[in-house]
Amino acid sequence: MAKQKKDAINNTATTKAPTRQMWKRSIVALVILGICFSAVIGKLSVLQIVQADQWRERAVAQQMSDSIISPKRGTIYDTNMTVLAQSATVWTVIMSPKDIEDEETRVKIADELSAMLEVDRDTLYKKTLKTNSQYEVVKAKIEHPLAETLSTWIQDNGLTGVFRIIEDYKRYYPLNSLASEVLGFTGTDNNGLYGLEAYYEETLAGKPGRIVTAKNGWGDELSTKMKFEKTVDAEDGNSLVLTIDSVVQYYAEKYLEIAVKENGCTNRGACIIMDVNTGGLVAMATKGDFDPNDPMTVTDPDAAAAIALLSGDERSAALKKAREEQWVNKPISDYYEPGSVFKVFTSAMALEEDVVNENTSFFCNGAITIAGTRVGCHKSGGHGSENFVQAVSNSCNPAFAEIGQKLGRSLFWKYYQGFGFTERTGIDMLSESRVTSTLYHNEDQLNIMELSVSAFGQTFKVTPIQMITAMAAVANGGKLMQPYVVQQVLDADGNVVKNTEPTVKRQVISEETSERLCKILDVSVNSGSKNAYVAGYRMAGKTGTSDKTDQNNATGTKNVVASFSGFAPSDNPQYAILLLLDEPQVAVRFGGTISAPVAQKIMAETLPYLGVEPVYTDEEIAAMERTTPDVKGKEVAVAQSMLTNSELRYKVVGSGSTVVKQVPDKGETIPKNGMVVLYTDENELSKTTTVPNFSGMTLAQANVAAANANVNIQMIGLGLESGEAKASSQSIAEGTSVALGTVVKVNFIYQDSIA
Amino acid sequence: MASIKSKALSAAPAKPKKRFRLFSVSQGFDMPFLIILMIILVVGLISQFSAGYAYSYYWNDGDSFYFIKRQLIFALLGVAAMLVISAVDYHILHRFAIPLMLVSYILLGIVLVLPSSTGIHRWIRLPGLQFQPSEIAKFALILLFAHLISLNHKKMKTFTAGYLPFMLILGITCGLVFIEPHLSGTILLLGIGIVMMYVGGTRLLYLLGTMGLGVAAVIYMIFVKGYEQDRINVWLDPMKAYAENPNEAWQTVQSLYAIGSGGVMGQGLGNSRQKHLFLPEPQNDFIFSVICEELGFVGAVLVIVLFALLLWRGITIGMKSPDKFGSMLAVGLTAQIGLQAFMNMAVVTNTIPNTGISLPFFSYGGTSLVMLLAQMGVVLSISRNTAGRRSPIESKGAGSRKRE
Repeated sequence: MAKQKKDAINNTATTKAPTRQMWKRSIVALVILGICFSAVIGKLSVLQIVQADQWRERAVAQQMSDSIISPKRGTIYDTNMTVLAQSATVWTVIMSPKDIEDEETRVKIADELSAMLEVDRDTLYKKTLKTNSQYEVVKAKIEHPLAETLSTWIQDNGLTGVFRIIEDYKRYYPLNSLASEVLGFTGTDNNGLYGLEAYYEETLAGKPGRIVTAKNGWGDELSTKMKFEKTVDAEDGNSLVLTIDSVVQYYAEKYLEIAVKENGCTNRGACIIMDVNTGGLVAMATKGDFDPNDPMTVTDPDAAAAIALLSGDERSAALKKAREEQWVNKPISDYYEPGSVFKVFTSAMALEEDVVNENTSFFCNGAITIAGTRVGCHKSGGHGSENFVQAVSNSCNPAFAEIGQKLGRSLFWKYYQGFGFTERTGIDMLSESRVTSTLYHNEDQLNIMELSVSAFGQTFKVTPIQMITAMAAVANGGKLMQPYVVQQVLDADGNVVKNTEPTVKRQVISEETSERLCKILDVSVNSGSKNAYVAGYRMAGKTGTSDKTDQNNATGTKNVVASFSGFAPSDNPQYAILLLLDEPQVAVRFGGTISAPVAQKIMAETLPYLGVEPVYTDEEIAAMERTTPDVKGKEVAVAQSMLTNSELRYKVVGSGSTVVKQVPDKGETIPKNGMVVLYTDENELSKTTTVPNFSGMTLAQANVAAANANVNIQMIGLGLESGEAKASSQSIAEGTSVALGTVVKVNFIYQDSIA
Repeated sequence: MASIKSKALSAAPAKPKKRFRLFSVSQGFDMPFLIILMIILVVGLISQFSAGYAYSYYWNDGDSFYFIKRQLIFALLGVAAMLVISAVDYHILHRFAIPLMLVSYILLGIVLVLPSSTGIHRWIRLPGLQFQPSEIAKFALILLFAHLISLNHKKMKTFTAGYLPFMLILGITCGLVFIEPHLSGTILLLGIGIVMMYVGGTRLLYLLGTMGLGVAAVIYMIFVKGYEQDRINVWLDPMKAYAENPNEAWQTVQSLYAIGSGGVMGQGLGNSRQKHLFLPEPQNDFIFSVICEELGFVGAVLVIVLFALLLWRGITIGMKSPDKFGSMLAVGLTAQIGLQAFMNMAVVTNTIPNTGISLPFFSYGGTSLVMLLAQMGVVLSISRNTAGRRSPIESKGAGSRKRE
């Protein structure tokens, strides 16, 4: 009974319990929900695995404010660590119009800031109206005191939320146009656009850093508790140390500029000075050039005036052309016909191949007939009978045509290539011109006429850098160097990252040939025209004047390129120079008359500066200086006779019997007939005299002035014996009180009659 | 007879054995369900702390702990309520089935006439307490459906008893919620109702027919009438919509940014960037986005798995219930959690078009959390009566013989 009841209860329980259908359907429902969940997981795997990066990228873009820290661009130094190009901190003013509260503030900003920052008021006002923007540049690159003033103004007016002053850099060229063609310049965003600035962009630029800051949905930085900021420091750029010496560069530019102006050169002038043993450039000048602080200004006054008359597209086209022209680094980018300077290389080939020797004789009757065509010598009467050395000195075209023919095309071609005239020199500078076969005759094209004419440097073109590199090879014992301008790369801490070792491309001629040729070229300079002669230095070289056969100027006479290339000292060559005046517009426009004197002046200042010891010939010494003997403590009479023997004058101060002091002291160098002051009385020692102004005086005038003022002069410079040199500077300033007999060093410059 | 008796006797010693089962203490509640639920609650609170931290800071005068403090208090209250309710015999709820439905209709009516600044009538705000009548309507619907199905289970296949009354109740409830307007609440109610009718035994034909009509209506509204075009456009191509109309697509896009930037392993707990005023209410509807961002795919899937386990356990409790009332209550309450969790996660991942819906046990909201936990107390109460019962599927042979 009890059991039956229990069963009944069980039955009710069983019938009340969920049916099998309910079980099945609930499982189906569970499965459907499971499918729904799986769909979400599927979507999540797409979002978080497949597309994760793209979503994260977008999210980061809105979450992070990213500001760039500009790296400081490296400095460019000359070889003596004189700064040629440097970046200094400036500030850029950013405005967030979105955060300007009312019209009143907008007007205030427009009025006051436009006056302070010298920007256009209306333009600024329009910027304040861009209320969606948070980034409007008000003015870029303002300098220190102004930035300070602005910052105060912003704070005083409670506009710190509107303005930001961001640190930036500006490029300065403290020596202005000096070496501008070499340095190039940078653009507004501090990237190199021309010259070394562009060629060494990666080295100089450094790597920008950044500050990444997390912000919230309102655009604010997160509160300190939740702050997230990551800074990647900017890596400052490396610095360059050039082989260029700004002093030599200055000498080169100074004289080149005068020459370009005085000769009315319509296609600028160029000068390169190279260390022949390394290929390093000591100076590379172009005139007219530009000021890299302001590269957009056209410096040629004629061109600027012409542009000013134009308008519209014509004007901008002319402006663009004039700018691009003044930015071209002529020494590596322009081609020219070398003319007679090339005879140096023809000579080198001929000597190397034993085609001629110093005594080979030639006869010039003023012309040579080549393949039925008469080719004249520059001396219409001819040079008559001459040996090889004289032929070089005379720059005799028929003689060299003959030498070319003796060499033959294959030897000429071999050395033409050997000296590097068919290839780029590989200098580390931007836009060295391509050397294409249209510039010269290759071996197949060197028929008798081309060969003969090429032998004296015509009908082909080279770049100035090719020319001086080849000239250096002649001077340095026959090694063709790869020219370079950057000696060292320094990191931001001044450590040397890279040092340039000289690269010898190849041995073109033997050392012996080089030596022989140096002597011949020495004769060419020192016995021929004295226009390239530098007293105390054996200078070797060759002048050249070449017609621009591919153009006619207005008068129908062809323009010329007048050049000189040489090196010194000829017995131990150290520096080579190339000076080139392109399209001079004067009547006499030979390289010998207008280019060589300029090169001479440059070298006359450069060589002593670079520490090349002068070696005077006896004549030169006799003509110039004496060393003071030691007469201190001697009796006056003895001292007087010693001085007289040394061809020096004397002046006795005081009434004593022995010399207590002599001025100048023993061993000083003063000119012949200079004066030594002999003090015989201690009490007279305080006597002084005033240094006169020697500037502009000739040697003779300076001597008189010195004698009158009771001082001695020590003459530095060149051409002292010629009597035409004029004083340009003095070691002790005019008006200074000095002891009697003090030696004043006076620098003389040989003023050749350029005009 | 003897053999039956001996069977009964032989079954007797097996009983104490069951006491040693780790998770199913006789007359105790279902331990797996409770453990899963507690894990979900703890994970939910941790997520709440992280997700609400920044938002609370910005909106509560720098008090980053405002949300979590309140949520923690309500969670404790809720757990207490759950435990108390789990001890109460759920059959008592039969008595409340109809009155509670009427009460919720009254509340849904009141909420419609209450003033609202936004034109949306969802909340009833009393001092110290605010709640959504639709939340109460949800429970009322589950209770009433369970009540009706358990009473009428034999007639569930008929149109008049097994379909029509349910559809009427569902229609009125959904209608009232829909005009609040509260789309996601409406959809959720519909989902719960349909699942309960389906499990309760309503003919599949009727249900499919109804759903077919519903789908047709929705398609008509969207594609012919052009309703909800913005929502659809955002769903189809959020980035394009964002470019055209940033405000419209803001929520979805910010959520996708958060989820996507979490990647596989996440940014690390507490490291969400999107919670800093990019995600709208990161502590609420978009808490799952923050979880995805901080804990990555791995963490997100774990959360989903936790919900799936809870569903499995909830349905199991229902099916082991000794009566259909308990079964249907458990199924309805479990379906509610499952559907709501799915809809929330589907919305924030842009799997379905955006509609505001919270994630159970995770989203911020004291009243809602207490109510959810109290409902889980009902499920636990049901589970107390399942001891010793085996599912008819598990014991096919034995069960059918027993019924003979």
